[in-house]
This record gives sequence, structure tokens and C-alpha cells, in this order.
Amino acid sequence: MDKKITTQSIITFTKNNLIIVGIFILAIITSFVEPNFLTVGNLQNVMRQFGPLIMVSLGMTFIIMGGMIDLSVGGIISLVAVVTISLIDPIGQAAALMVGVTIGLICGLLNSFLILKGGALKQAEALFLTYGMSVVFTAVALIYTGAAPVFMSYSKTDFSIFTAIGEGFIGPASTSFIIFLVCLLILYIIESRTHIGRSICLTGGNMIAARLAGIPTEKTIIFIYAVSGVMAAIGAVVLASRVTIASPLMGKGYETQAILAVVVGGTALTGGKGSVLRTVIGTLLIILMSNCLNLLGVTTYIQYMLRGAILILAIWLDNRKQYSEGN
Amino acid sequence: MENNNAEAILKIKEVSKAFPGVKALDRISLEVFRGTIHGIVGENGAGKSTLMKILSGVYQKDSGEIVFDGNKIEDITPIQSMKMGLSIIYQELNLVNTMTVGENIFLGRFGEMGGREAVHSKARILLDRIGCQIDTQKEVSELSVSDKQMIEIAKALSFDSKLIIMDEPSSSLTFDEMQQLIKIIHDLKNKGISIIYISHKLDEIFNFCEVVTVMRDGHLIETRNVNAISRNEMISMMVGRTIENEYPSRPNYVGETVLEVENINTKLLKNVHFNLKKGEILGFVGLVGSGRTETVRAIFGADKVKNKSIKLDGELVSINNPIDAINNGLAMVPEDRKIQGLLLQFSVEKNISLASLSELTYYGFLREKEERDISERQIKSLNIKTPSAKTKIQMLSGGNQQKAILGRWLELKPKILILDEPTKGIDVGAKYEIYLLMKKIVEDGGSIILISSELPEVLNMSNRVLTICNGRITGEFDPLQASADEIMAKAFEF
Repeated sequence: MDKKITTQSIITFTKNNLIIVGIFILAIITSFVEPNFLTVGNLQNVMRQFGPLIMVSLGMTFIIMGGMIDLSVGGIISLVAVVTISLIDPIGQAAALMVGVTIGLICGLLNSFLILKGGALKQAEALFLTYGMSVVFTAVALIYTGAAPVFMSYSKTDFSIFTAIGEGFIGPASTSFIIFLVCLLILYIIESRTHIGRSICLTGGNMIAARLAGIPTEKTIIFIYAVSGVMAAIGAVVLASRVTIASPLMGKGYETQAILAVVVGGTALTGGKGSVLRTVIGTLLIILMSNCLNLLGVTTYIQYMLRGAILILAIWLDNRKQYSEGN
Repeated sequence: MENNNAEAILKIKEVSKAFPGVKALDRISLEVFRGTIHGIVGENGAGKSTLMKILSGVYQKDSGEIVFDGNKIEDITPIQSMKMGLSIIYQELNLVNTMTVGENIFLGRFGEMGGREAVHSKARILLDRIGCQIDTQKEVSELSVSDKQMIEIAKALSFDSKLIIMDEPSSSLTFDEMQQLIKIIHDLKNKGISIIYISHKLDEIFNFCEVVTVMRDGHLIETRNVNAISRNEMISMMVGRTIENEYPSRPNYVGETVLEVENINTKLLKNVHFNLKKGEILGFVGLVGSGRTETVRAIFGADKVKNKSIKLDGELVSINNPIDAINNGLAMVPEDRKIQGLLLQFSVEKNISLASLSELTYYGFLREKEERDISERQIKSLNIKTPSAKTKIQMLSGGNQQKAILGRWLELKPKILILDEPTKGIDVGAKYEIYLLMKKIVEDGGSIILISSELPEVLNMSNRVLTICNGRITGEFDPLQASADEIMAKAFEF
């Protein structure tokens, strides 16, 4: 293959990575128009937003690779955040953390149970089912808190796990960044080296054929929803630690952001292929974009619209690519 | 043809159509006359449906000429063909269940008819014309299959159709409903409308068709007046003659019983039971929908079937899913290669290693080197023509794709291999390779259940043949003794 950078190769790259190139150009423009963009403070700000979203997006990657979808992560985040924060005083920090992650796991298992028992094995069916579950999880969070936010207290100890996650550093890296690296490494190994990782891709690629060839497709679906639930719970803890407050509606919007990050990263919404590594890029781009737009003074509502437009564009581009491959 | 005075409403000249890897229609020429009931018969895959889909604009022909009612048909869409007066009534009826009868007849044309309410009076007139008393305000979901067919006919009439194609209309009708349909068909004929009647049921062709066309393997074998053809002639034309050396010599090392299947009951299947011997190729002959695929899917655990009894080497085994089946030494090459067999977006290597994945796993981790070895071994031993093991399997020809699926299973050395339409849509050369492979498998002590719509294939490869029709096993034959006609008669024993 010719490695030289030619005009042609730039055009091809742009065509194949339209969104990545677009956001890159946006970042360049922003850095010229708004000198604050390239300051340490702003980049730290970007990294802080990265923390919670990347966790949710990593879990969502497995879901989408497996040909499914999970809209319940927003609800899981809200529920886990309020329960974990409220339990710090009564049962202690470590126990509260464990309860939080366990709730995420249970929510994920519940989703997969309903999907398998309900036979909602099509992406569209899973979409509605998990949307319903999101409403349920949010409602439980609202009932649990009486719709009021829960504040984090530091009553018992000087050292707090939560402040460490929210603001602490290990060496030059923030704690939440280390947590992210560990999760990424584990998920990447699962994805690329293990039986279950391969099963996820095969299930997403063609569930019927995979099942007939002896791939445990049902177990795979349970696994991906469990991972998604746990990752959403970790994201909830990271988020609550940073803002030191948990509200029963705080997870709202994370599901669309996560799907956007996964798809912009290049994981096919139709399932079967993708990678958590791509999702890291996708998440960075999404956050970078919203940061740039904030600095440029674009209102939130216009940003919502842009996000929607980008999701549509990403799906359209991917379908077009698959269609041309299909011929 | 004797209809020398009648005018042809439809003239098809030298029409061909190829799909990747298979020639679906090969220079078909056919004329249908005004006011004639024209039957078309042929086995599954003969090309009947492809031809009809070209006429109705679902597919485009590759070459040839079609003249309908004096106009050339070129790049037509389904709605255009209906407006020209050519309607097709598919086996799976195309009605909107949640709308009323009247709305369905004029679906998409409320504007032209003067509103959604106005359609009912016009629908009434059409329904009366075919002597149908269904209330036009009734919702379609409440109707029986035969009533729905009446609605489809009324819909065809609403387009002023000059030719109505019916694709196996009788498959789900009772005797009385069928009589009603025949009466309507005759009425339509008397009004000068031509009918193309596609059916598997030869009785119907003899009962009320005037002209019959036999198709086989994408070829038009012959068009004749019905009173100038005998039933046996028709079957022979449908089935075709066996060409010498198209098949390897029949293996003959049949041993002990390895598989006993009893008591398979589903909505379709009725007390299906049979056995399979070591080293045997057991052929299933039956139409699509006869229960042949449902039977093997039940055995393989692909569909959940309660209370079935499966004995392997005399021992009762419980098979609730494909994993159980595989662990018991079963393997299945499914009917639809692209949907049920392949992961089209994945490499040849991943498609081959698929069934061996647990064997390649140590403490949850895959051994990729062994995976490569498996696929290299199978690519070599089955002579799969692919640029590399990493090539996406969708780039391969149908024959090579099928060999990859076979390789997937052979790696596990299955005791019983189920082949559902193993040679569908693949060329003659690759077919022969697959036949040789089947022979080798049974010579090595395996057993095969072979399902195929190609009768000569089943007759030439099997040691024993079972016919299945309407969910029942209707006969058992030694293919060396029985004639093709005898076997087909049992497969058509409704």
C-alpha cells in the first residue's frame, strides 16, 4: 500500500471519517477564535466531562456491537447516584460504592431478563423495552429521594473515596482517568481476546446464524447488559463524586450522548463490529465539540439539534458504507 | 397452440434473469391469451416466482422482451404494472390487517376515489361483481384467508386488470372455499380477463386450467393444452431426467441405527418419527412448507418442541438448543445460507471457526493461532477458493460459501450431519464437490439427513427416501426401486 500522503488519500480519509474531520476542523477554528480553548483550565474541564460519559459509552459499545441498544443507562445513573450518595453516612463509603455498582448490575440483568423472556431480540424492540426501564429506574430514584437532590456529606472521615474519585490525582493523572484506563483495558481484553468478546461480535453480526452454530447468544445478551449496567453505575459514581450532589434526574440525556459517542467513533449501529478504542475517540470528539460550541457561544438548544444531526449523519454514512461494501 | 383466433394479452420473449451465482431464468418465452386460465407448474426454485416478480416490476429482467396489452414493459414499478392492468395476488396476501375491507381495496387511492368514506360504495360494486357479500366496513383482521383472497381479487378488479396472476392461491383454502374460488376464476375468464394460476397441485391444473406451462431450473420446459398432457408426463417434465455422472456412485455401507426420532408434534408436524442408520444418507422429499425443515430444526434444537423423543445410539438425549445438539454430535447446514448460515460481514476464517469456538477457548481466552490452523486446514481440505482466510465471506461464490459452512462442521467430526438444501443456488461443479464430500462423510462412519428440493439429487445421493407432506411422513422408498413419479405422487399426497 502507498503510504504517501496525497491529495487523493486526504479526500478518501475525509470521506470515510467525515465527522472526525469535521470536529477537528471545529476545534481548529475555535482555537483561533477563542484563545481560552487551549488553556490548561479548559482542557481540564474537557477531561472532567469525559469521566462519566466515557464509562457509559464503553458499556454501550458492547451493547451496540452485540446488535442491541440500551436506553436505560440514564435511569441507571440517576438511581445509582442517589442511592450511593444517600448510603454513605449509614453504611460507609466502601459499602455504599459496592451497593451502587451492584444496583447497576441488577438493573442490567433485569434488562436482559426482560429482553430474553419477552423475546425482544430485535434492536427496535430492545429500544422500547430499555426506554421503558429507564422510566422505571428514574421513577424509583424519584420515589426514593422524594424528588429532592441528595447532598454528599463528609461527616465521618477526613479521607473520602468520593473526593478522591472526584478531585484526586494519582501522580499526574486524575483518579477518574485511572479508573477509565483500568476499565478500558479490561473491556479491550474481553473484546479482543476472549470467547465472550467474540460471541458479542458474532451475535451482533447475525444472531440466527451464530445461535445455530452453537454460540451462546442468550448468555451473550445477559453479559452485555450486565456490563452496560455496571459501567453506567461506575459513571454515576464518577459523576456524583465530581458534582458532590446526586439528583434523581441527573442521568437524563446520557443514553443519547453515549450512543452518539459510540456511533461517531465508528461502531456500526447494526452490530457485529466496533471497538471500545473507537468509542474513546468518539467520546472525546463529542465532548470536544460541545466544549468548542460553548466557547463559541452557541446555545445549548442549538447544540442539542447539532447532536441529533450528527447522529443522523453518522448512521447515514455508515449505511452508505455498508451498502457499497454489500455490492 | 390451438387458440389461433385468440389474441395474446401477454408476450414474453427470451427473458433471462441471473442472480449472483445462479441463472434464475434462461431465455423464457411464453404467451398468455385473453380470457384464458393458464397454469404454471414447477418445483420450488424452477423460476416461477422470479418470472412473476419480473412481470409485476419487483425485479428487472436482464434481457429479453415483454409485451403486455400491446405495450412493452421496460423498467416498470409494481404500481405502474397494476395501473397497466396486471395484478398479482401473492401467496402471503398483501393487505393491511387493521384497515377495513373498502379501505384495503383502494389503499393509497383515497384521493382519486373522493375520500376515505367514498371507497365503500365503490368497493361494494366490485365485491358484488364477484358475488362476495363481505361488509366493506369490516376490518380485514376479522376475515378468513379465503375472504382475504376475495378482497385481493376485488382490488385487482379495481385496477381494471386484464391479467391476474395468482401465486398458489389454494395453499390455505378449505374444499368449499376452493370451489368458490374456482367459480370466481371462471367468471373472470368469461369477462375476458386472463388468469395465470401458479400451483403445486396438479389436480387443480387438470380441473380448471386450459393451458399449462412446466418450468424447471429456470427453463421453460413446455407449454401445452391441458387436455393434451397426462399427469405422468407433467411430473416427468417437472422432475426432469437425470444426467449421467452428475452424481458420484452411491455409497452403501449402512450399519446400525444411530438416531431414532419419535413423537415430534408442532402446529405443522404430526407425530413425525423415523430413524437413521450409521453410514446412511437419508433423503427427505417434500415441498417448502411441508414440514421437512421444521422436522430437522426440531431435532437440532433450533425450535423448541416439547415432548419429542430423540435417541442417539439407543440412549434418550435431551436437546433443547443447538448447543445441546452440537454436544451430542449433531451438525446442521441450514436452509437459508445467507440468513441462517453465514456471518456475511465476517472473514472466511471466523465463519469456519464459528462452531469450534469453545474448543479453542482456554479459561475464557481464545487461541488465535489454533483458530488460524483450523481455517487453513478446512480451506485446504475442502478446496475453498478464497483470496485469503481473512477475506470477507460475502466476496466468495455460493459454492465456496457453502463449503466453508461444511468445513465449520467437519472440524467437529459430527456423527449426524443435517443438510438442508445444501446445493441451492450453487453451480454444477461445486455441487459435485459437495456430493463427493457427502460420500466421504458417510464412508468415514457419519450419517447424513439430506433435504433438497431437487428430486434427482435426493434420489441419486440417498440410500433411503422419506416423503413428507403437510407435516406427515407419507412414504418410505428405496430410491433404487421406486420411480421418481411414484415418490412425487406421495410428496403431493395432501
